[in-house]
Amino acid sequence: MIQTQSGQETGPAKRDWEPKIVAFLCNWCSYAGADLAGVSRIQYPHNIRVIRVPCSGRVNPVFLLRALQNGADGVLVSGCHPGDCHYISGNLVARRKFALLKELLQYAGIEPERVQFTWVSASEGGRFAAIVEKVVEEVRRLGPNDKLVKKL
Amino acid sequence: MTEKRIPHTDLDRLLDRLRGLGAVHAPTRDESGDVILAEVSPGKPVVLDYKNFPLSPKVFLLPQTQTLLRFTNGKPHEPAPVAGNGGPSQGDGRPPNRQAFLFGVRPCDARALLALDEVFLGGDQRDPYYERLRAKTVVIVLACTRPMSSCFCTSVGGGPSDEAGADVLAIGLEADLLLRAITPKGEDLLSSAADLLGDATPPAIEEAQERARKAADQIAPVELDRSAERLRNAYDSPLWGILSQKCLGCGTCSFLCPTCHCFDITDEVRGDVVRRVRTWDCCAYPLFTLHASGHNPRPTPKERWRQRLMHKFRYAVENLGRLFCVGCGRCIRNCPVSLDLRAVFRELGA
Amino acid sequence: MSASHEIETRLRETAEKLLREKRVDLFLGYEKASLPFRTTPLFLTSPEEVKRLAWNPFCTTNLAVYLPRLFKPPADAREAKTAPPPPTVGLVLKGCDTRSVVALIQERRVPREKLMLVGVACPGMVDWRKAERALREHEPLGAGEDAQGNIHVVVEDGTELTLRREEIVADACLECRSPTPSIHDALLGTPVEGKDPEAARQQTAAFEAKPLSARWAHLQETFSRCIRCNACRQACPVCSCCKECLLDQTRPRWVGAGTDISDVTIYHLVRAFHMAGRCTDCGACARACPMGIDTRLLARKVNQEVEDLYGYRPGEALDAKPPLADFAADDSQDFLTEP
Repeated sequence: MIQTQSGQETGPAKRDWEPKIVAFLCNWCSYAGADLAGVSRIQYPHNIRVIRVPCSGRVNPVFLLRALQNGADGVLVSGCHPGDCHYISGNLVARRKFALLKELLQYAGIEPERVQFTWVSASEGGRFAAIVEKVVEEVRRLGPNDKLVKKL
Repeated sequence: MTEKRIPHTDLDRLLDRLRGLGAVHAPTRDESGDVILAEVSPGKPVVLDYKNFPLSPKVFLLPQTQTLLRFTNGKPHEPAPVAGNGGPSQGDGRPPNRQAFLFGVRPCDARALLALDEVFLGGDQRDPYYERLRAKTVVIVLACTRPMSSCFCTSVGGGPSDEAGADVLAIGLEADLLLRAITPKGEDLLSSAADLLGDATPPAIEEAQERARKAADQIAPVELDRSAERLRNAYDSPLWGILSQKCLGCGTCSFLCPTCHCFDITDEVRGDVVRRVRTWDCCAYPLFTLHASGHNPRPTPKERWRQRLMHKFRYAVENLGRLFCVGCGRCIRNCPVSLDLRAVFRELGA
Repeated sequence: MSASHEIETRLRETAEKLLREKRVDLFLGYEKASLPFRTTPLFLTSPEEVKRLAWNPFCTTNLAVYLPRLFKPPADAREAKTAPPPPTVGLVLKGCDTRSVVALIQERRVPREKLMLVGVACPGMVDWRKAERALREHEPLGAGEDAQGNIHVVVEDGTELTLRREEIVADACLECRSPTPSIHDALLGTPVEGKDPEAARQQTAAFEAKPLSARWAHLQETFSRCIRCNACRQACPVCSCCKECLLDQTRPRWVGAGTDISDVTIYHLVRAFHMAGRCTDCGACARACPMGIDTRLLARKVNQEVEDLYGYRPGEALDAKPPLADFAADDSQDFLTEP
């Protein structure tokens, strides 16, 4: 079971610090949904940086860990709803990967709010914005990420 | 050559004196109960009841991860302290500002430092990173009294109370520790603590020799005579293929070996910051000799395992005049499949 | 006469027959090593040498690790023309080893028809590090099994001691649920009951009872000992699938090569994740680690999640589909974020 640890401060939030969220969006659904949010002028937090992937199934767990290592405070992965994948079953295989990854990272002590997964379809501009709001808020409450961060 | 002694009960006072001069690393127990060589703060118990440390002291002179350079926006700058565990396996390129006293190094590991000196300081170029650390390191060897069944220092020119590589050799006696200065650094160390030390009496020296003899007797000899010549003649022996089949290419032997020194240099880039870092590498890895074309001159474990032994027991002898093995036995003890290089020399014959 | 001795005799007979009748080209087993509490793998090709084969409480190595290299496909068409046909390999396997072989067969790394699996029901194998620690200051010269299955040791001054097997048996064996090989062409030894899965569950539950920051601190402390030697990866039978391991790749370099704690943590997390649905908890990784890191800490959790979420235990059935190459319409979605 996933437990949320909301309200738990994990590190001092620097003044003027803004969370940096890296979002992996699948090209056919989630990226289009984000685009729709933009075209519809729906306001949502500017904290996400989008990386477009062909399919949520393309996302390798090492991408998420690398993002955290390079300074991201949180990661979001979004794909098509099950049954709607442009490549038929990419998101279905991804679903299993993400379920296990989320459990493993939480087990290791990484706050579950920092690594989040969702499905957003091409017509769900509003849903996309709402999810981004939620993710940014949750990461803001946690403070800057200090796990896996590598200083060069 | 100054010989002094100090009662065992006064060892802490000696180490305290050294703390005034630099960082003192001594044998101490870690969380899992193993005895490691680590910096001991005052009050932390020093353990003298150990065989040898899991990692060899080469880690103090050639850290597993060492920052060589940093650039920001194309301009080099002084390395900032490296984040992370900061233990002996990490280092940055800054010259150390303190002496490091390594107390409790075994004779085999000290002898290995001389082999590393050959590699990093012996050629036309001197490795500045190694040199800086070496200049600030003082090695106090503690002679062995209880060899392990994997030890064979006596077959490679060493011994349980060998002096090679030591600045000071310490031999544990019944009530005292005998301290013998071997190098000028060692003489300096003994003079800086002169008030704590008594003179070594003839009976004490006698006792030390007796203990050394007893320890050496317990070590089984290995036929390593003329190893270079025998290996040269056996290059194409089918023995290599047979014995190396088991090798997993795991790297444990090289990483734990006190004389192995191969390294890789990588540039890590993020934005406009570049860090050049040196890390340990191992010739048993297939990637070690993989060419950009895809060709690998050492394609199977056979070539790689043969190379490892050739390097240590033949090429090093032919090129540098010394064996690159000190008989510490770490490779034998820790190999996950219990490969034993002594078996090679047994099978090779004359 | 210890139980192992009987099995050893039958094992030698079996291997001798297989080699003499040319039903196998190669027989993989164990032989006595140069140090006590160990054996070393033995690659036998001639029936005359079967007396080197040993079976005792020190037969720890998972021999399945050698199969991928024995069945390596030719690199290209040119090599395929001159490459010899794959050998038929017989090997002696404990329960955990058998499950690794099954995982390899499922992934088409190794053809079932080219293997002769000689299974042995395993009562648990000795971890040499635990044994040496139990001996304290003594130096072992020789060790063997007594009639009760305990370990009889001779130390440096000639004294003889007995170490109780359950105190020095490997950690993985203490939680082993499949000591008896389920798939075999021959089975030696009396079938042994697996341990209650509760044993392993309690370990993960105890870790999960800690707050997140304590878990992270524990892992950082454990991984601070890692020297990135890759022994855990090389000792693992299933961790050899990629032509080039992701963790070795340089273009791009996903993980730095050094001991920066961030890189070390990512290495272990990624390896544990890649084992999902494939790790048979044989413990080879933990035994190979020269620094005493408990690599099974993460693997155990991943195995339990795969079992809970997808009802799958690696290495049970030859025709099962690996869970991460598969999906079901009703797979759990509890982990998703909803606005």
